[in-house]
Amino acid sequence: MQTEWNWKIEAKTRWFHWNLKELWQYKDLLNRFVRRDLIANYQQTVLGPFWIFLQPVLTTIVYWVIFGKVAGISTDGIPPVLFYLPGVIVWAYFSDCLNGTMYTFLQNSALFSKVYFPRLIIPLSAIFSHTVRMLVQLLLFTSLYLFYLIFTNAVHPNLYILLLPFFLLLTAAFSLGAGLIISVMTARYRDLDYALQFLLRLFMFASPVVYPTSIVPDKYRFIFWLNPLTPIIESFRTAFFTTGPLHYKYLLLTLFSITALLTTGLTLFKKRELNVMDIV
Amino acid sequence: MTRIMIKAENVSKYYNLGKLGSGRLREDFKDWWVRSVLKNGNNHNGTETRSHIWALKDVSFEVSEGEVLGFIGNNGAGKSTLLRILSRITAPSYGTVMGNGRVASLLEVGTGFHAELTGRENIYLNGHILGMKKKEIASRFDEILDFSGVEKFIDTPVKRYSTGMYMRLAFAVAAHMEPDILIVDEVLAVGDAEFQRKCIGKMKEVSSQKGKTVLFVSHNLQALQNLCQRVIVIHQGQIVDEGEPEAVIGSYLKKEKNISCFQEYDDMSSAPGNDSIRIKRVELIPEYVNGQQVIDIRTPVTIHFEFWYLEATSGNLIVGVHLYNFRGDFIFDVCSEGAIYPSGLIEGKCSIPGNFLNDDSYYISIVFVKDTTNRLYYFEGCLSFDVEDYRKNTAWFGKWQGFVRPAFPVTLTTK
Repeated sequence: MQTEWNWKIEAKTRWFHWNLKELWQYKDLLNRFVRRDLIANYQQTVLGPFWIFLQPVLTTIVYWVIFGKVAGISTDGIPPVLFYLPGVIVWAYFSDCLNGTMYTFLQNSALFSKVYFPRLIIPLSAIFSHTVRMLVQLLLFTSLYLFYLIFTNAVHPNLYILLLPFFLLLTAAFSLGAGLIISVMTARYRDLDYALQFLLRLFMFASPVVYPTSIVPDKYRFIFWLNPLTPIIESFRTAFFTTGPLHYKYLLLTLFSITALLTTGLTLFKKRELNVMDIV
Repeated sequence: MTRIMIKAENVSKYYNLGKLGSGRLREDFKDWWVRSVLKNGNNHNGTETRSHIWALKDVSFEVSEGEVLGFIGNNGAGKSTLLRILSRITAPSYGTVMGNGRVASLLEVGTGFHAELTGRENIYLNGHILGMKKKEIASRFDEILDFSGVEKFIDTPVKRYSTGMYMRLAFAVAAHMEPDILIVDEVLAVGDAEFQRKCIGKMKEVSSQKGKTVLFVSHNLQALQNLCQRVIVIHQGQIVDEGEPEAVIGSYLKKEKNISCFQEYDDMSSAPGNDSIRIKRVELIPEYVNGQQVIDIRTPVTIHFEFWYLEATSGNLIVGVHLYNFRGDFIFDVCSEGAIYPSGLIEGKCSIPGNFLNDDSYYISIVFVKDTTNRLYYFEGCLSFDVEDYRKNTAWFGKWQGFVRPAFPVTLTTK
């Protein structure tokens, strides 16, 4: 009697069975999906990949005019363009990643109903392709920053800059964790979609994208800092502009909450990835 | 003992029906509220209680290395659900499947093709989706290109391809993957005859020369009979028959095609047919003698049919009767003499004498042809019947050979 089997399909998927080894075997596919996203997105556009630059530039200009000039919101003495860009880049990265992952099952049901591969590849590929875009935008920020650093006396960097990859990793992990949880839910409840897009817009204004944390009244400040994006964006600015001390405590809290969210997301996703296909 | 590649044990799958899981949060919440909080499981404002259908129930089987196993069954019998479970697209509700080796399933050609990408990009994309590694695709790239015959357009986005080119490219990728276990579902249903021939040829090659295990669902019974070493019949989610293809397919067909020896339609609009022909009645009438109950080799049978002829234009109408046995052999083709008929109800009959057919299972198709070549309608498998054996004065009880069994006298005389 044969007892050794390469693989096994069971009715109940186990909790915490993430099977990361299998994920590694599909790295070529991941790679290919990222490529597909990047190529297909800019087919038949006039400006092509140039849009990656144009989006944050246009957004920054709009924010500068509306929130800076018209509403007169403080930028903590940082040159407005440099003040808005980190918020715009981090926010766009977060919301693009979230939007790219939270419809995983809805948008790929045709593919998922025909072939097996670890479903996690799809949300991961969305994260990766948005990371590429984000890095390109970061290049834009860096060149502007260097310009100000060399020709003016308006910006002061410090060593926390080295933590930048960590901040961005946190952002990615946050959107992936949330996106995985939401993807399982949107598969079943499509009306969540409308509520989510609305909430996402509100959430932007709950994060220090167009204003500095310093204008938040003291009594709300603690709640405000509980938003994982707040320490990320604020620390980003702290690192490049030395606006104040780095808020270690809030960063650690964010690290903790994002880790918890990502773990929950991965677990739920892996647990439900097959069953979800019956209800999409 | 040969290696077992797949072992399925009591695989079952049910789907929920009714209002539960309506896909709307409010409905689901209401349902949950009614069931769990109010403890009122039955009826609340017409909310249906949970009911489900079994798509598969306690299906167990084994497949050994190099075996080609076919699945047949009606639409909705559960074949596709089974393949989906084996391909890990959906999870079973109960039961387990264990296996060895790499599985590739081909439930569709061109899965994941992206219209905006070029043929080259799509070969890689599709290959990876099907589970191939980059190296494997690169090493077979030329072969794939050759097989597909779209070399000239390989750097053109596939949205500019014709359907035929698209299909050829998609199948070329699929044909060049080399898994240990290949799962194929109805891929052959699409595409033209040439394409199907190519598919079957490739599958035969994969199984016989390379010793791969193949699981295959098709409605093309001829293909199944040709390719498979073993066939499983699934009916309403359960395995009802299993074994050597010829026997299993024969008995399956007999059950499936056994529509009756009588069909009648009063309403012309719902009757089988088309704008030219509508069937009113077909009937098989045996002429029993001496209290016979069943048709045996001595029984003459007459096929009666009535149809509405709706094609008013002139032209010679010919009605042909085709007789097949259930292994698919064409026994005979007889037809009426061509003549011009007015539109309206037409009756016809065809008599098959006794002592002519061998004992077997048969089905009849009726073909309506105009002007020799223009086929108006083909009423396929409309009647079916069994001819039982009957023997007298013989010591031989094995299968009597031959398609027909006429009582031509064979006489011997001593000289």
